[in-house]
Amino acid sequence: MRLSRWALIVVVLLVAAVVGVAYGTLRLTPLEVLHGALGTGSATQVVVVRQLRLPRVLLAALVGAGLGASGAALQGATRNGLAEPYLLGVSGGAAVGAVIAVALHAPAAVVPLAGLVGALAAVALSLVVARASGGQGDARVVLMAGVVVGAFANAAIMVALAGVDANAVRGALWWMMGSAADATWGQVRALAVYVAIGVGALLALARAIDLLALGEDAAAGMGVDVARVTLAVYVAGALLAAGTVAAAGLVGFVGLLVPHLARMAGARTHRSIIGAAALGGAALTVLADLVARVAHPPAELPLGAVTAILGVPFFLSRLRRLT
Amino acid sequence: MIAFHEVSVRYPRRGVPALDAVSLAAPRGALTAVVGPNGSGKSTLVRALVGRVPLASGRITVDDRSVDDAGRRALATRVAVVVQREEPAFPLRVHEYVALGRYPHLGLFRAPSRADRDAVMGALMRTGVVHLVDRSITELSGGEWQRVRLARAVAQGGDAIVLDEPTTFLDVGHEMGVFELMSRLAKEGRAVLLVSHQLNLVARFADHIVLLHRGEVAASGSPADVMQGAVLERVYEWPLVVTRDPAVGAPALVPLRAPSRD
Amino acid sequence: MFFASHTGRVAIALSWSALALLGACRTDAPRAAGAHDDFGDAIASAPTPPHRIVSLNPTTTELLYAIGAGDRLVGRTTWDLYPSQVRDVPDLGPGLRPNVEAVIATRPDLVILYASDDNRDAARRLRAAGIRTVAYRVDRIVDFARVTQALGALTGDTVAARVTVDTVQRTLARVRAATATLQHPAAFWILWENPLLAVGGGSFLNELLTAAGARNVYDSLPGPSPAVSFEDLVRRDPDVVLASPESRRHMLADPRWQALRAVRDGRVLVFDTTIVNGPSARVGASAVSLARLLHPGSI
Repeated sequence: MRLSRWALIVVVLLVAAVVGVAYGTLRLTPLEVLHGALGTGSATQVVVVRQLRLPRVLLAALVGAGLGASGAALQGATRNGLAEPYLLGVSGGAAVGAVIAVALHAPAAVVPLAGLVGALAAVALSLVVARASGGQGDARVVLMAGVVVGAFANAAIMVALAGVDANAVRGALWWMMGSAADATWGQVRALAVYVAIGVGALLALARAIDLLALGEDAAAGMGVDVARVTLAVYVAGALLAAGTVAAAGLVGFVGLLVPHLARMAGARTHRSIIGAAALGGAALTVLADLVARVAHPPAELPLGAVTAILGVPFFLSRLRRLT
Repeated sequence: MIAFHEVSVRYPRRGVPALDAVSLAAPRGALTAVVGPNGSGKSTLVRALVGRVPLASGRITVDDRSVDDAGRRALATRVAVVVQREEPAFPLRVHEYVALGRYPHLGLFRAPSRADRDAVMGALMRTGVVHLVDRSITELSGGEWQRVRLARAVAQGGDAIVLDEPTTFLDVGHEMGVFELMSRLAKEGRAVLLVSHQLNLVARFADHIVLLHRGEVAASGSPADVMQGAVLERVYEWPLVVTRDPAVGAPALVPLRAPSRD
Repeated sequence: MFFASHTGRVAIALSWSALALLGACRTDAPRAAGAHDDFGDAIASAPTPPHRIVSLNPTTTELLYAIGAGDRLVGRTTWDLYPSQVRDVPDLGPGLRPNVEAVIATRPDLVILYASDDNRDAARRLRAAGIRTVAYRVDRIVDFARVTQALGALTGDTVAARVTVDTVQRTLARVRAATATLQHPAAFWILWENPLLAVGGGSFLNELLTAAGARNVYDSLPGPSPAVSFEDLVRRDPDVVLASPESRRHMLADPRWQALRAVRDGRVLVFDTTIVNGPSARVGASAVSLARLLHPGSI
């Protein structure tokens, strides 16, 4: 992809980040925002900019980057433009963990951890189910095991929600619809490390994904250990997605949509596609978070709802292109 | 160089083995062709070589070392395989696609060197597709695509090339061009193993032919030995005669018309 | 223990108010006590006052004790926990979509349901079983007066009911008078942290706040417990925040809450309300303690 395109994506991300910090329900002039960021403004301005908006914007960017990279890698490895990061039951497992935590009225800090544990358990369970079916070397068996685990998780969520009070239901739904509202600097730091490792791992596998994208037999003919590499990509992608779920709940469509945009922008090899998808995903999620914050005051829209609204016109346009 | 020793392959839940104790050798400096009707196990042979199907029994060796010993990537630096079906999901440029052939040498992390770039350019020139260098592979005609795939296999380097039906979609001129190229590669000292159903071209270019029928070797030897009317008719289940075309001096198979029913 | 904690009680209260919102939105037109219940159904008459009452509504349970009819209770919901004598009354399960069989098994002669659309089916089935059933909702202070008198009419304790209502109304009037001339601070009452839920204009807690001499910054939102964004709260800049002890601890420990002037000025008041279920006979005492918190020395 041409350098100018890369520059454009980076500029879009930076602009999105600046806009995300500058705008919010509380109207601040650009000067006040600057003072807030520098720490020289009033206490309210400083806290709003430094403790509320900056961590949120960074969290949204990291979540978007993780989801974009994960989606790009998975779409390449499965040769399917409809693959998305919540494979292997990640979304279902995370939701089960979080719902159980909310139902037990666990403190707010525990809920994302429970979500992460649930997501990791779902990935592990998918692999175990695939192995028990004798097909851990076959990518399709692993995917189907993920579908099975996801369906089981959905059933578990419904059972869990049926037995709890209405407020726990409200809290669980709120979590499942995705939000960057609770971003703290501690979370941002942890997620930054996690996403850096995850995206790094996927970029390392990028060449192998290029070969997998030609077909499994063709990749094998060029020396790719198809079973092992495919599994590595699935697991790395799923773990990356699990981390984003722990941080911000379920944020759909970013991982599905952004790789297509990266490819439309001209990224061809997966090193470019994954990189561009990470940057583009970050920009998109930051903007979606801004919309979530200001579209319907005084309430906040769930982040997952805003990204879903973006997904619909995209899919319509893809549908029209098919016909 | 590449040798199959009593290789049997059985697909799960199928009664009949896809390959039954097949033995064949593709030595260096020769063009070895595997022919046979649809479903005779030709493609299974190739898939077994790249490890996509497990062997029920037997072994496959490259230079007398089992393919399982060396590691897939190391094997790929010596044996380039062009499989029958390839469905690229994403639109790469031709030069990027051919460069993928250098993966066995580069692995995941090494950057391409001068030698790699030269190998790619050399391959593009030898297969006659240099003029397509910047085109997207999704825009190529069927024939151009086949030649680009061949370029990738040549770029992969190594002492052996295995090709599964490389001349589908090619017109007469291009098909001859591919066969000429394969013959040249063999004469340069490589082992070329070709799976094809183009019996007549195979008869003219191959040094050694193996005829498969229902997973078993029905005949093996020089073109003159294998191109016998009786065995071919039995294997292909169609009336035919084998003539010798004086213009080219090689046996030629001529299928007969089905008897008309009135 | 969950129920004993403030969190538990707030959770219970929010369950009711959230479900009240999920149920049909009806106008709160006051109806003559004794003629129709809050479902609009006519109340069946009975020759003698009931002596086996099932109350599946925490507020009506409290009111029954307040008017002296508590000893006639033979069934309550899991969430009915006040006064403490109620723990001896059998727990019949949830108040929404109640276990009708369990209710019938207690052989009641009066069943009081929570008037939400979820319970219309239960009301129908109980009446079909020949049991006198009424449904009430006590959302606001005006409902408290109305329903207390309705319960008094049903149980024959009309005098006790009138006394209860009068006492509370006099207390409320006293509180309003004491705080009328004082400056009313802008207040934010936090009900839940994740998502951030505030006491809204539709909650009786809002009425309490007004009576105690404060102005709810979310007075204009019609719901009882609306979700609000944190920045919007910062924009409204309350003078004082009311919270449970646990919420206050979280707020003081979280650097983001320092965005609120009220938090920085140390104006986070702990109000461990035990009345979050709904306006009951304790609402007067609650108004007094709230006024004392907001305006020390005023009453």
